[in-house]
Formats: sequence, C-alpha cells, structure tokens
Amino acid sequence: MKNKRKQFDYVRWIFVLPALVIVGVLLIYPIFSSLYYSMTTKHLIKPAYDFIGLANYQAVLTDPEFFQAFFTSIIWTVCSLTGQILIGFTSALAINRVKHGKGVYRTLMIIPWAFPTIVIALSWKWILNGVSGFLPNLLVQLGICGTLPQFLSDNSMVFITLIFINIWFGAPMIMVNVLSALQTIPQDQYEAAQIDGASHFQQFYHITMPHIKVVVGLLIVLRTIWIFNNFDIIYLITGGGPADLTTTVPIYAYNMGWGTKMLGKSSAVTMLLLLFLLLICVVYFTILAKWEKEDK
Amino acid sequence: MRKKKERLGSGLCHIYLIILSVIAFFPLVWVLLSSVKSAGELTSNPTRFLPKHFTMGNFIHVIQDLGFTKNISNSLIIALSTTFIAIIVSCMAAYGIVRFFPKLGNIMSKALVATYLFPPILLAIPYSLAMARAGLTNTRLGLVITYLSFSVPYAVWMLVGFFKTVPIGIEEAARVDGANKFQVFVKVVIPLVLPGIVATAIYTFINAWNEFLYSLILINSSDMMTVSVALRSLQGAEILDWGDMMAASTMVVIPSVVFFMFIQNKIAGGMTEGAVK
Repeated sequence: MKNKRKQFDYVRWIFVLPALVIVGVLLIYPIFSSLYYSMTTKHLIKPAYDFIGLANYQAVLTDPEFFQAFFTSIIWTVCSLTGQILIGFTSALAINRVKHGKGVYRTLMIIPWAFPTIVIALSWKWILNGVSGFLPNLLVQLGICGTLPQFLSDNSMVFITLIFINIWFGAPMIMVNVLSALQTIPQDQYEAAQIDGASHFQQFYHITMPHIKVVVGLLIVLRTIWIFNNFDIIYLITGGGPADLTTTVPIYAYNMGWGTKMLGKSSAVTMLLLLFLLLICVVYFTILAKWEKEDK
Repeated sequence: MRKKKERLGSGLCHIYLIILSVIAFFPLVWVLLSSVKSAGELTSNPTRFLPKHFTMGNFIHVIQDLGFTKNISNSLIIALSTTFIAIIVSCMAAYGIVRFFPKLGNIMSKALVATYLFPPILLAIPYSLAMARAGLTNTRLGLVITYLSFSVPYAVWMLVGFFKTVPIGIEEAARVDGANKFQVFVKVVIPLVLPGIVATAIYTFINAWNEFLYSLILINSSDMMTVSVALRSLQGAEILDWGDMMAASTMVVIPSVVFFMFIQNKIAGGMTEGAVK
C-alpha cells in the first residue's frame, strides 16, 4: 500500500516537471542573474567586470533622464489603458446590445489583435506618412488641414498618435473578454428587472457591473503590466524620438544596454521597473480580492 | 415610446460599431491595397483606393531580390518548433495541475500568471549573455528556447481552463478498465480537449511568429533573421520603398490574421477563466 502511494506521487510530478523546469530556468534564474548584474559594471562586449554594490542604482536614480522616461511611461500607460478600457468596454456593450451583425462587428474589430508589432508599425507609419500617407493627404484634400500634418515627427502630435495606435491595438482584447463575460449573465435577471421597471442605467449598475467587475479588474491588471512593459510598439514607430519625447523606461533600458552597452546599469533600470510593477500589482490584487469577497 | 427609444439606441450602437470597425479594419485593407500598387502610383495618388494598375512586382522583388522567403522559413521553423514543444509540455502541466495538484495547482497557476509581470526587456539581458556563452547567438535553437519563456506559461494558463471541463468520471471508467495514467491522458483526455489544444497551439504560433524583441537582440546575421527583424531592416534600407514593405507586411500579417479568425471564439474564455478561478 505504501509502495503504491509512493509511485503515485512520482507519476504526477512527471506531468508538471518539464513546465516547472522551463519556468525555473527561463524565468526565475534570469531574475536573479539580472539582480546580480545590476550590481556590477557588466559591459555588452568587454568580458571583465567588477562588483560595485548599489552604485548603478544610485546612478540611475539620480539621472534626470530616467525620471523623464518614468514619467513618460506613466502617461503612456494611463492614457493607453484608459482609452483601451473605454473603447473596449463600450464596444462590447454595443455588440451585446445590437440584434444583427454581432459576429461581423466582432470579427472586424478583433483584427488589430492579430497584428505583429512590426506590421502595426509599418502600416501606421505608411498611413500617417508625412509625404504620401493616406490620412495627411485626405485631411488636406478635405480642407481640414492647410499643410500635410506630420503625425509622427511633430513634437506636439507624436505622443498622442502613439497612444492612439496602442488603443487601436489593445481595445479588441478588452472587447472580446468583456463580451464573453457579458454573455454569461443570465438573461432572466434583466427580464425580472424590466418587469420591476428598472431603467437601463439601473440594470447596468445593479446587474451588469457586479457580474463583470472581476473580469474587468483582472484585465486592467494584465493590460497595465503589458503596456508598461511594452517595448516594440514605440521602438518600431518612433524609436523613442523625436528628442527622447517618447522614450519610456523599457526604451531607456534598451538604449543603455545596447546603445551605450552598459548592461550592468541597464539591469538596474529593469530591476527598478520590475519592482514598480510588483508594487502596482500588490495594490491591484488587494482591491480585486476585496471585490471577489464582496461577490460571495 | 419605449420601443422607439429602443430602436434609436440600437441605431446609435450600429453607427458607433461601424465607425470602430472601419478604424480597426482599415490598416489591413490599406496594407493589402498598397502591396499591389506600383511605386509611382503610391506617391502620386496617395488617397486613391483601388490600384489603377494591378501589379505583383513588389512581391516578386521582395521574394526574388531581397530573399524574404529565407526569413519566412526561419520564422516558420522557429514558430512551429516553439509551438510543438510548448504544447506538449503545457498539456502535461495543465493536466497535472488540474488532476493531481488541486490545491497546490492554484498556487502554481497563480505563479504562472506572476511570470507575466517580468519585463521582457529585463529577461533580454540575461538571455543575450547566456546565449552568447552557450554559443546560441544567431541560431534558431537559441530563439526557440527564449520563446518558450513566454509560450509555456501562457499555454498552461489557457489549457488549465480547457482541462477543467473534462469530467473525472470518464477517466475513472478508463482506469477501471486497466489503463495507466499516461494512457488515460493520451487516449481519453487529450481527444476530449483537442479543440482547446488546437486553439492554444494556434495562439502560441501567432505569438512566436509575431515576436520582435528577442529576435532583435539574439539575431544579427541576415541569414538567420526572422520576418519581424528582416522587415525592420528593410525599413532601415537607404531607399524607402513602401510598396516592397507593404508586400512583405502582407506576407507576415496574413497568416496571423487568418489563424486568428479560426480561434477567435475559443480565445476569449481561455484567457480570463484560467486566472479568475
């Protein structure tokens, strides 16, 4: 009997072991490795390096450019996230409401989600191109603009344009997830509320919101992390320019690691980035846990 | 009165959705249309929709002169290998979590979600150093290994949701008939969850196909470049040829979009369900 039990344990571990090894080697180890390098003078090419304690952190935290990048990251995340949630959420409600064409709208609107970042970058750069781009030329032909607007090189427009593109890319994911949560709400609750004479707003507030609160909360957490960590969209569209106007923390870290080749210092930046995200998550999950408790 | 208001509301919904659909859909249309226009037409007639002269010249140029097929085959090999390994490992793990570690499993899947937190740019530094040490810089194998770092957690997360739907009674019946754990897993459970596994595999493939940062950092020889990096280097070329770029973009984006259409219904549940529970 005892023997059989032992064998049982061994087989079940075989199932999860490969995944645990991959996660351990590819995700846990690099964190510690980065932590170590962040306290050294590690260089991208030169093999020799020294241990210097927290000097990199000190250097980064006294660099005004780091705070500039951090501030840019915050604006980038807050604006993109707000836009994505707003568009994703309202479009899900609208699709849920209409009787015809649900599938067509959903299919058309999901497309940006499938785009590789490089094609997001190239297609929008082409559409917004300051010489032969579709949109600038259309705006001039319609008489809305006097000269061709430079969406991606004009200092006052470039950041807003990037945020628009990020909303374009990210809203479908919110839409699909909210929509599937909406469809799990039992319809008889709405019917009962209508008989009781509840208004649309009351129905939304008392039936819809409680049902999808947790899903939306979770989406906000995941999207915040994703947008804050995002490197490709900005890197491929503006490269952080013009004049560092769109340099977020990941771009700043990349430039430090692969531009000036100071991997040690760059590691310190990425560790600070992780620390900040951890902090945000703790706050988020405390709120989410409270919501889930309220549901029960 | 109420009915009229209802119809007005639904009409406004349609208008809103049509506007959003056009914005969402337009870049794809514009990439496709631009890819079959000549360079002259692209610059002389920026707002004209349909091509005056339909041409496949951009595609021929990209494939024959720029060797883009090489990049496509690199990306295909890398994405398929990643998907193959990730799905086998993740199916086992997801099943193991659901069936054998009901309590610990919750912590395990939470831990997997936590890996989502790790900035790719943070992982990129140790990866590039480790790959250089292992002699895997500029190899497809090196990229497949790094791609597993995001594919496996994500696939396990999605698959846990699908494996949860298998009733334990079916497995017990097979066990009574004398099948061992692996036989039950392969012959009974896998076929039941197959649609979910296929959807997860496709999603894994798309993500690997679309990846950019790691291939930027680990690959610098043009022979080994993936489509993303090759497309970017095209953009860095001296003469900006938008026709070429749109033709190459078409070849990269079409597989992603088409595959995505197949799994769009499956993907919604899988992602949030795995984590909410």
